[in-house]
Amino acid sequence: MPVPTYPSGTVRALLGTEHVSEATRAALQERLAAPATYEPQFLSAEAYALLEAVASRLFPQPDRPEQPIALAPALDDRLAKGLADGWRYDALPPDREAMRLGLGGIQEIAQSLFQADFLALAPEQQDAVLHALADGRPPGAAWQTLDAGRFFEELLAGLTETYYAHPLAQEEIGYVGMADLPAWTKIGLNEREDREPDEANEQRLSS
Amino acid sequence: MPDEETLEESVLNPVKPEIQDPLLRALLADEPAAAAAPVDTPLEQPQALPAEANEVDCVVIGLGAGGAPLLARLAMAGLKVVALEAGPWHNPGKDFATDEQAQNFLFWNDERLAAGRDPLAMGKNNSGTGVGGSTLHYTAYTPRPLPDDLHLKRDFGKGEDWPFGYEELEPYYEELEQFLGISGPTPYPWGPGRRKGYPLAPLPLNGAAQLMVRGAGKLGIRTSPAANAALSARYYQEGIGWREACTNRGFCQAGCSNGAKASMDVTFIPLAVKHGADIRPSSFVTEIERDAQGRITGVVYTQNGEQQRQRCRHLFLCAGSVETPRLLLLNELALTSGQVGKNLMAHPGVQVFGTFAESVRPNKGIPGALISQDTHRPQDADFVGGYLLQSIGIMPVTFAGQVARGRKFWGQRLRDYMKSYNHVAGINILGDCLPHADNYLELAEEKDARGLPKPRLHFTAQENEVRMNQHAEALMRRIWEAAGATDIWAFPRYAHVIGTARMGLSGDDAVVDANGRAFDVPNLYICDNSVFPSALSVNPALTIMALSLRTADKFLKSQQRRDA
Repeated sequence: MPVPTYPSGTVRALLGTEHVSEATRAALQERLAAPATYEPQFLSAEAYALLEAVASRLFPQPDRPEQPIALAPALDDRLAKGLADGWRYDALPPDREAMRLGLGGIQEIAQSLFQADFLALAPEQQDAVLHALADGRPPGAAWQTLDAGRFFEELLAGLTETYYAHPLAQEEIGYVGMADLPAWTKIGLNEREDREPDEANEQRLSS
Repeated sequence: MPDEETLEESVLNPVKPEIQDPLLRALLADEPAAAAAPVDTPLEQPQALPAEANEVDCVVIGLGAGGAPLLARLAMAGLKVVALEAGPWHNPGKDFATDEQAQNFLFWNDERLAAGRDPLAMGKNNSGTGVGGSTLHYTAYTPRPLPDDLHLKRDFGKGEDWPFGYEELEPYYEELEQFLGISGPTPYPWGPGRRKGYPLAPLPLNGAAQLMVRGAGKLGIRTSPAANAALSARYYQEGIGWREACTNRGFCQAGCSNGAKASMDVTFIPLAVKHGADIRPSSFVTEIERDAQGRITGVVYTQNGEQQRQRCRHLFLCAGSVETPRLLLLNELALTSGQVGKNLMAHPGVQVFGTFAESVRPNKGIPGALISQDTHRPQDADFVGGYLLQSIGIMPVTFAGQVARGRKFWGQRLRDYMKSYNHVAGINILGDCLPHADNYLELAEEKDARGLPKPRLHFTAQENEVRMNQHAEALMRRIWEAAGATDIWAFPRYAHVIGTARMGLSGDDAVVDANGRAFDVPNLYICDNSVFPSALSVNPALTIMALSLRTADKFLKSQQRRDA
């Protein structure tokens, strides 16, 4: 199946309408209005730069060269505030320690594979480092104590949930569930409410 | 064109709650509830903190599916009851956003440690907090168990039997279906015939459900619109008033904003308040106090940063299968059976997703619109028990997180796959689970933000669960292939934590008796999914509520005997 694409601007247009509740609008507008610059609150400047570089490979956004959806701030902010999400793999140390160890471990992989700092690597090399991490048995002393597979899973899930919580990422996948007032009445297969975006390539798929 | 789903127009039908228990009927007749009922208490009105010397008849800890029904029952019987709920009292109409991230406050977010080879995700998966507990974010999927679910040991020689049969719960299921306004098919295709049908017609089928009808139909598997505790039409209940129909938001798991879903905060809790129950939100219990004979005399809790004490004659512990055993372990209470924290079970809940040419838009409609219980006791099973099949809609952030964890996609590949979101549909199972010595809850050395030991949950799927998952995954893949899916993948998952303070016939191997009363402590009752002797092959919420009403009735009966 070809990858569907959706028209841009649909979510911003809907946010101003009565299809979106006050509480929903407030949550989404806060994300849209997030400041372009962020001063790390928990991670050191170096560690934060590394996290940003990792995030930009896990979620490359060549389509948003001017203003990519920022992912690292949410992770740093959560660590600074000590917020938990209800559980943690027992195999991992507490979140702050896991992040410190894991970022150090990513540098170790970069050094081991390419004898260079992660930030100095070409995008393909950075991807190779992340593949080694995702595979679960990367080189480096950090990974003797930190479960690489679980660390990668948590890092990726955290970034992914941050990314797809953003209204522009939701627009990218054709989701406008936030505009649910007064009701959805067309909920079956191939049914679409007028306010839901159609696929931009207009290919009508028949069942 | 897909089949048009024709939905009967439901009749707007004011229903008077029918009280099953003759004793409670008698109590109500003798002592009109109005005598004990103050005028409606507005939700936001802060409750005055009572002087600690006041002793009440009953304190209920936890206001989810286990605590809220019995709270209403006890209040209706004229008892003086206080409910302590760790979380706040929300105003869904105003505060609940149609946004997954913004709704994270519905989950029990204190950290729990997930250990074992199949660690149980907690937080949004298996927990809840707030007035209403986990029912604030349950999917509203409310099938009854089938009678043999309660007799695994009798039928297979493995697992445990419940200390009573289905006939003990049946009147409560019927009462709950009418009271909550459950939308479902009449007649119901599986299980014994029923005295009453569902009060409302089923909710409409969304895209995933229509696809499952198609795929299962080709394989000769029967399907039916499912029973869901969300209203397919406006509904009236004495003591509660009107509740509005479901608007197909599809956000049940992130909180219902219009009261269509029968969470406890829009059903049993207003009923309890009307009959005089004193609800104290944001009250976290730390200590359960006893006298020299071991009887509970009261509880100590923290509310708004202040320590409070509430004395009581009876305690109902309904804090869920993690906090209930944690409170028992922390207070060294009811531990002589050695079963507190043990027998931890979790429903096999493997999900299978596929991509379809048709647009599905899986965020719309009641998520679990369709059911099949043809797999309740599969002919070719190489395992004990069975499972149900359920079509699933899914919200985007939840889905994306599962893609990341389950497929380990990242980079452009993840972004491309997620662009198929509107063409993705899922099916999952909910299957029985056997208790095993390796699966248990304990208190860790590590402390949480409150300074209390974190619960550590050990879970490793054993041979029975592994075989059931394999059977189910293969079947669901066939269903999706028959329905025309491509790119089919499975997300292994376990849902609901069950069994950590189990019910049984003897204090040698169970924490509470068949009436929910602790063997060790005469004035302690426990009611939530921790008392389930076996996991059942259906979602637990309806059975927790049924047990809750039954526990209240058994308690009231014992009190009447004492008074007589």
